[in-house]
Amino acid sequence: MKLKSVSKILLAVLLLLVPLLFRNFNYGILICGFIGIYIIAISGLDLVFGYCGQISMGHAAFFAIGAYGSALLHKYLHLPILLTMVIAAVIATLIGALLAYPASKLVFHFLSLATVAFGEIVYQLVAQSPGGITGNFTGFYTDSINLLGFKISTNTRFYYFALVCVCGFLLMKHRLVKSKEGRAFLAIRENSHAADGMGIDVKRYKIIAFATSAFYTAFAGSMYAHYVRFISPETFSNRQSVMFLTMLLFGGTASLSGPIMGAAAVLLLNEGLRFAERYQMLIYGFMLLVVILLMPGGIYGIIKKRIDKRRVVS
Amino acid sequence: MAPLLEVKNLNYSYGNILVVKDVNLYINEGEIVTLIGANGAGKTTTLRTISGLTDASGVKGEIIFNGKNIQKMPGNKITSLGLCQVLEGRHIFSKLTVRENLLVGAYTRKDMDNVKKELEEIYTLFPRLRERMEQLGGTLSGGEQQMLAIGRALLGKPKLLLLDEPSLGLAPLVIREIFEAIVRIRNTGMTIMFVEQNSKIALETADRGYVVQNGQIVMEDTCKNLASNEEVKKAYLGED
Repeated sequence: MKLKSVSKILLAVLLLLVPLLFRNFNYGILICGFIGIYIIAISGLDLVFGYCGQISMGHAAFFAIGAYGSALLHKYLHLPILLTMVIAAVIATLIGALLAYPASKLVFHFLSLATVAFGEIVYQLVAQSPGGITGNFTGFYTDSINLLGFKISTNTRFYYFALVCVCGFLLMKHRLVKSKEGRAFLAIRENSHAADGMGIDVKRYKIIAFATSAFYTAFAGSMYAHYVRFISPETFSNRQSVMFLTMLLFGGTASLSGPIMGAAAVLLLNEGLRFAERYQMLIYGFMLLVVILLMPGGIYGIIKKRIDKRRVVS
Repeated sequence: MAPLLEVKNLNYSYGNILVVKDVNLYINEGEIVTLIGANGAGKTTTLRTISGLTDASGVKGEIIFNGKNIQKMPGNKITSLGLCQVLEGRHIFSKLTVRENLLVGAYTRKDMDNVKKELEEIYTLFPRLRERMEQLGGTLSGGEQQMLAIGRALLGKPKLLLLDEPSLGLAPLVIREIFEAIVRIRNTGMTIMFVEQNSKIALETADRGYVVQNGQIVMEDTCKNLASNEEVKKAYLGED
């Protein structure tokens, strides 16, 4: 137990010191910022997929709603950026609930087809927007986050901002999945008939899971927009949805640390394979295949198995 | 005193096929009532219709539980009124631990302090569940899973507990253990109705019984009388 808390403190210190360690390596800090964004995005996907057992192949759409929503609100209504991020995430939550309402009746491949269609609709909307407000295929520039006058304009500043956000979102997720609602999600994933028999309103909880998940991913999307300060439809195609799923499955579903490991591993791999960018989808496809066939629990699953085994021995 | 559950002229059809015909039954508080009958007689459908798990469009008639007509309510609402069913084939959550399974059963409850106390009572009722508390539900034996399913339903603090084929696929000794537990649960003041193909143990356990044939109730009496009835003996108890 003591060892655990010591290692926790060490980890916290290490995370706080990352910018110092990468002092002369701005690129490294940049990547860490992206990892933070993706951790939040796929933690959201995990709520729907890992905990509630509902597949979504269209989460890039929520990422897009967050990014475009926030950037457009800032551009046209001149609202302060942190506020626009929250508003965009709330809008995504509502859209998520609206989509989940009819979709909660669907299962398996029907649900995944519906979410694919949803992703495509949003993609087409931002790529060929009414009145060209999104800049269509060219995309458009936006500002960095402004915390009451303090601009988060450098990679280091963003890193700390992302760190706070990740901690906040993970804490929220932890509390949610340990609560009564979290148990309802798991019950639905395991056996929705029995869940219904326990008095759980299955439809309602599917909607809650989907909407909450949309909030996470959309907030991550808005972080992305104001980090890169440029958005174009390319980032929000179905390729992004596949990447989310790859990260989640690779890291391990239904856990807090799975999405962290998945986001970090896949993103680092992505950067390492920059030279092979045109084969990205091929690599994701291959990774998904490997994960599903050889390590269904992801990295998290493998580590957990090891620990469990040791416990049995001792 | 009005019965806890009263079913009047209940009909249920799958499309054009009428499977439950004009069923009338009642359960008084504190009773154990059983529905016995052959395969496909409509026992399970009757039970599932009462707890709102069948397609509502096929249901006709009145189901009055605790003074309320629940015929058009969705299953999860009925559960929160205090009518809980242990499904046929148990349907436990195989990837959740025994403890988590039980806690899902307490889903409709708000008094978590009492739930913790009752959790202890359930472990006392089924000591094997205590031993396996942290084990995944799917790793339990059939009998233990049935115990878990019953315990899970009890944690919802039902007023009426419905059990669908509690003996399904279990060894004779385990069946006895389950039915002894059912009697112990009744002794705490619970009202219970169960459907059972194993007519012998059903008639030994329950107070009153209904015999179901082709979707209709053909006989209704105390279990003592049913067990000594010549026709019942011949058709369901395998005696000459």
